[in-house]
Amino acid sequence: MLAAGAGPAFAHAADRGFVMLLPTGYYLFGGAAAVALSFAILTLMPPEPVTRLLRAKLRVAQLPFDDRAITSWLSFAVIVLLWLAGLFGSRDPLSNPLPLVFWTVFWVGFTLVVGLFGNLWRWLDPWYGPSRLILRTIGRADRAPLFSLPKRFGHGLAIVLLFAFGWFELVYPAPDDPELLAWVLIAYWLLNLAGILAFGHEAWTSRVELFSVFFGMISRLAPLQRVDGNRLFLRFPGGKLDDAGPLPVSAMLFLLLALATVSFDGLMRTFFWLGLTGVNPLEYPGRSAVMLPNTLGLLAVFAGLAGVFVLAVWLGRRFAGMRNPLTEMAGLLVWSIVPIALAYHFSHYLGALIINGQYALAAISDPLANGWNLFGTAGYHVVAGATAGYESAWIIWNLQSAAIIGGHLLAVLLAHALAFRLAGDARTAALSQLPLAFLMVGYTVFGLWLLSSPTGG
Amino acid sequence: MTGKRTSLLLPNKNLTRRTALKGMGAAAGLMAAPGFVRYSQAQSSEPIRIGFQAHRTGIGAAYGRWYERVTTAAAQAINDAGGINGRPLEIVTEDDGTDPKRGAEVVEKFANQHKTDVVFGTLFSHVVVGSAPAAGELKMPYYVVSEGYHVASGSLNRYVFQPGITDVKAQVRAVGPWIAENVGKKITLVYPDYAFGHDHRDKFPERFEAAGGTVVGLVPIPPTETSFTRYFPQIPSDTEVIYHVMVGPGVLTFVKELGEFYGSSGPKLFGFIDSLEAVDINSPGLEFLDGSYFWEGMPRYLQPDASDAVKAYRAAVGIDDNGASVNDPKDVSTSAHMFGCWETLYIIKEAMEAAGYQGPADRAKLVEATEALTEFPEGPEHPQGLKVFSPMIHQSFGQQYISQVSGGKLNVVHTTSIEDGMYEPEADYTSMPL
Repeated sequence: MLAAGAGPAFAHAADRGFVMLLPTGYYLFGGAAAVALSFAILTLMPPEPVTRLLRAKLRVAQLPFDDRAITSWLSFAVIVLLWLAGLFGSRDPLSNPLPLVFWTVFWVGFTLVVGLFGNLWRWLDPWYGPSRLILRTIGRADRAPLFSLPKRFGHGLAIVLLFAFGWFELVYPAPDDPELLAWVLIAYWLLNLAGILAFGHEAWTSRVELFSVFFGMISRLAPLQRVDGNRLFLRFPGGKLDDAGPLPVSAMLFLLLALATVSFDGLMRTFFWLGLTGVNPLEYPGRSAVMLPNTLGLLAVFAGLAGVFVLAVWLGRRFAGMRNPLTEMAGLLVWSIVPIALAYHFSHYLGALIINGQYALAAISDPLANGWNLFGTAGYHVVAGATAGYESAWIIWNLQSAAIIGGHLLAVLLAHALAFRLAGDARTAALSQLPLAFLMVGYTVFGLWLLSSPTGG
Repeated sequence: MTGKRTSLLLPNKNLTRRTALKGMGAAAGLMAAPGFVRYSQAQSSEPIRIGFQAHRTGIGAAYGRWYERVTTAAAQAINDAGGINGRPLEIVTEDDGTDPKRGAEVVEKFANQHKTDVVFGTLFSHVVVGSAPAAGELKMPYYVVSEGYHVASGSLNRYVFQPGITDVKAQVRAVGPWIAENVGKKITLVYPDYAFGHDHRDKFPERFEAAGGTVVGLVPIPPTETSFTRYFPQIPSDTEVIYHVMVGPGVLTFVKELGEFYGSSGPKLFGFIDSLEAVDINSPGLEFLDGSYFWEGMPRYLQPDASDAVKAYRAAVGIDDNGASVNDPKDVSTSAHMFGCWETLYIIKEAMEAAGYQGPADRAKLVEATEALTEFPEGPEHPQGLKVFSPMIHQSFGQQYISQVSGGKLNVVHTTSIEDGMYEPEADYTSMPL
């Protein structure tokens, strides 16, 4: 059957083809140099100014309210409407609002919003309101949860959920199928509702529910901080980490898995990966044919990243002759991964955000594809040319590079401050970070390479 | 109409999937109105349901977008003119993720869940090949628009048709004689070293050599290659024409390096627009293509002698004189292939009307009625040109266009005859049981 002739091979010439014409090698070199140089400068500087910068606070506003229940219910109502659209709306994933809102607006866009403005998920969490109502109805609102989540689980369940989520996004053949996605999200909501009712909202959302855990970590980077309910402060990005304790091992692994997932999303499309798994990059066979290698690949990238990170911390600890427990050092220094994860997230999904964001705009106006025009955008013509051609490729590549390099610079800065907290003196801190600085230079180059090397998947 | 639409950027004549759906709603409304002549003889007002197997995600998504736009425009045009057998068309879109296994699932879904009358519109060959067995087992007429040779080769089944676009074997054969007579007799083929490139390597020489040409060199390039300069010394120095069919993200690099290698001299170039489908021909790096020739399935740029049918088609699908979206000049269409969606929908219409098609019980009758078709005359329904349909291999043959890049445009310099590409049937689907 397969010998029947290949017919047209439409491997896409555009977009990445234009990036390949750009002098991307200079960017890789320049990015590496910038990150390495920033590390060198920081080691020569006394750490106090950095610490002071990170501690700086500027009060900007007094928020008028603090009622999570109302916003949680509103969020839940929107989510229910999206489920209905997924189940009963168009079968086309670019017309149905559910896949567009979930993958593009929420996963891509909202993550960036959290990184910029803080943990808005606290308000939009769709379990808080409903779970409180249920507990009040059965008369358990003010009592301790039925069960306590075993300490030994750590963030283990969150890792399992994040891996399942990443696998569904990157490996499963049809994550955009509106009906399937609706059922997956309904099941996910019910599962977590059950967990929250059994183990309590606080325990479950801080250690199991993946979005709460993820956004909680990402929001530490946001330059906005809310204190005592309603006072709003402006901080240096990452400044909120000044009182962050070391993450337990399982939470550290969760954060590294988040970075590994988006890294693998880039890697699995490269000629390099396709060649490695025996796929002709000009004749990508579709996801269903590469599920096993890509499942293993996702696991391998996670294991590799975690291994290299812990190794870098361990080496640094030896160089500096520090006595702090390795887990404490790794758990604290891993916070410096947050800006890298956010930068990768921005860079890798920028194209999708630009195009599918427009499809989302059209889809929300006509959620059931029956001719409604709720917000006047139903007839919106998706400007696909926004990412096409040489000029767009140049602009997008520069935005991506700026984000990747900027994210790593911030990571070096944060690692410096965190290491100083661990070591107590500048020389030890600098020595302890040397291997980590190498890792960050390497990850800068890797990130830029992922975005500029030929892709076929 | 379902209320007023205020489009953000565009005049209302623009088509989206939604407007087509609304158009159908309007058609259904009109049917209920007394005395509406065009629908008066319809035995059923139920819409004809066309399952559109679309590449909405996966590697085909950029091409799928234009297939979807053209399909929507054609459905709208058919509905505006009274539908099929007096019944409106409804396009039911399912995403196959550009994945063959998923493609087969989608065909099953169309048959069992959506109960569509036919399945239509698949572009990527591996999805066609993966979906065809399901279509055969479910006895679901499956009209593909992929230009692959797999339908004509006889390796699929009686329910699979490709009537709206010429297959690659005929395309490749058709351009041979003209190249030999007008560009050069000594040719070197530069092609990616896998099935797609091999099709060109194996199917091009026969007609070219019959016209007095000689293939002097073969330069296969590994699919994983991203830099090409080191292969160019393999091109024999007496080469008069380089025939190139490179695809993928490396195409722009390929052209740039070829230009750097030859400078202002060097052999003439003949390529397949597949390499640069949906890519602006005036992009930086492509300057070396100036003066070179391309096969086009249908001209991207509006030609001075374009027929009214071509103009009407271009207006309906929303492309400007440069073949880009009228709303978005940077969004270059897949014009060499997407016309196939338009023409195939009209062929489904013709076959259904000939069969007196009533519903899924008549699917076998529809297959026979399609096999009874022999010719699709040039006109509003077939703006690309006349097609001759071969019932035995379920494949149409049409004219091909050869264009030269000049003044930043692709200008048609020759239109091949249908006979240039035609070949004897190599299979007979009509002898298979229904």
